[in-house]
Amino acid sequence: MRRTDKYRFALVLVILVALHFSVRSRLGDERVAPDFLLLALLIYTIRSKPGQSAAAGFVVGLLRDALAPASFGAGALAHTLVGYLSAWGKAVFFAENLMVNGFLFFGGTWIRNLVVVLASGKLRGSMLVWELLFWSPLQGITTALVGMFVLWAFKGWLAIRLADR
Amino acid sequence: MTIGADRYGSRADTLVFLACVALSVAAMSVPQTWRDPIAKALRQTVLAPLLDLQEESELLRTSKARFAAIEAQRDSAALAATFLPELRSENARLRGLLGLENRLPPGYVAAEVLPQSLPTSPPAIVTSAGAKEGVKPLAAALSPEGLVGIVGTVDAHTSVVVTWAHPEFRASAMTSDGSVYGIVAPHGTAGGGVWLLELRGVPYRQNVPEGTLVLTSGLGGVFPRGIPIGTVVGVVATNEEWEKTYILRPAVHPAAVSHLIILTGPHAGGDLRSAFEAAGEAP
Repeated sequence: MRRTDKYRFALVLVILVALHFSVRSRLGDERVAPDFLLLALLIYTIRSKPGQSAAAGFVVGLLRDALAPASFGAGALAHTLVGYLSAWGKAVFFAENLMVNGFLFFGGTWIRNLVVVLASGKLRGSMLVWELLFWSPLQGITTALVGMFVLWAFKGWLAIRLADR
Repeated sequence: MTIGADRYGSRADTLVFLACVALSVAAMSVPQTWRDPIAKALRQTVLAPLLDLQEESELLRTSKARFAAIEAQRDSAALAATFLPELRSENARLRGLLGLENRLPPGYVAAEVLPQSLPTSPPAIVTSAGAKEGVKPLAAALSPEGLVGIVGTVDAHTSVVVTWAHPEFRASAMTSDGSVYGIVAPHGTAGGGVWLLELRGVPYRQNVPEGTLVLTSGLGGVFPRGIPIGTVVGVVATNEEWEKTYILRPAVHPAAVSHLIILTGPHAGGDLRSAFEAAGEAP
């Protein structure tokens, strides 16, 4: 990998973080709008080891918990699990294919929301069912679509061979 | 570089993962007194530029709508000026158009809600006003429709508002005629009534008819008197023989709030009923 590739990879992640805090609120209902921060984490895990990914997930989750103090710690746990499982799963199971990465983004978003609502215990009954069977899948789909576009548009910068296998 | 087999997890990876899980569980377990300073420190350092970016973005997003609203106000003012010859009555009409802010006594700050994406966000919302703007803990957060919640923690330029949907929210309340007093709390955390409130501790012999407006009573000195909380929609079936609990439809839904007014002045002894009554009559 060239030295410039590393900077380009970091630049893509920074752009996603900036989009999360600037554009996201204009993309409709916040329960459905793509989660750029989680997407940045999942893209980071594509090229990182499981341990690094878990640590990155913990940091991202803790920062999000500071913005949603009602469920402090739940976000850190959820992002740690998603970061680790994504990096481990990518290394062991998943092929480098655009659709497969799309499913990874969808599953990562859904599992993150599942862990957050279960660990925080804030949602119960019908609210929990609606969150897990309606809102989270919708957010997963939008996040996956944006993630697939980012991988396709920046595949050279991200140094990912999407059509190899 | 592409993905390679060298990225399989090692023992060190597993240890890092387990350490992060342990830290996360520890973060969930720490008491509120530790949790708030940690969250506050993160918001004031690492997250400060990102929150600034979000605040600027929100301002930009709402500027178009505000421009349209100001245009509408200007048009209304021009129309009023056409039909009302006296300057005094024209001024009164313009003040009426400007909304709740002008009806409140001095000592408030307007704040924007900075939306977050986690599904547990509604019980506590981050706003764009903090200590530098005069916000203090335990200040009341309002919208033109009524009570949204109470300020929990305050940072330099942001604050966290604990909404009425938070399980620990309580407010001393009364009916609009002042004949019945009680405590308002969230109705529950499960089922269809999760976004409802309940008025507890009403003496059994006192009846509150459906449709009665419930306001803050001012008792306890936290909330000023006369802020709408909700409307009675029914009574809870209970085995208690000495008190009744009524279900309220909230005046404001936290998820629908984009802007807030946070009281910063000495409103504790005041009565804000006239401000909200005027809000109901405004065109």
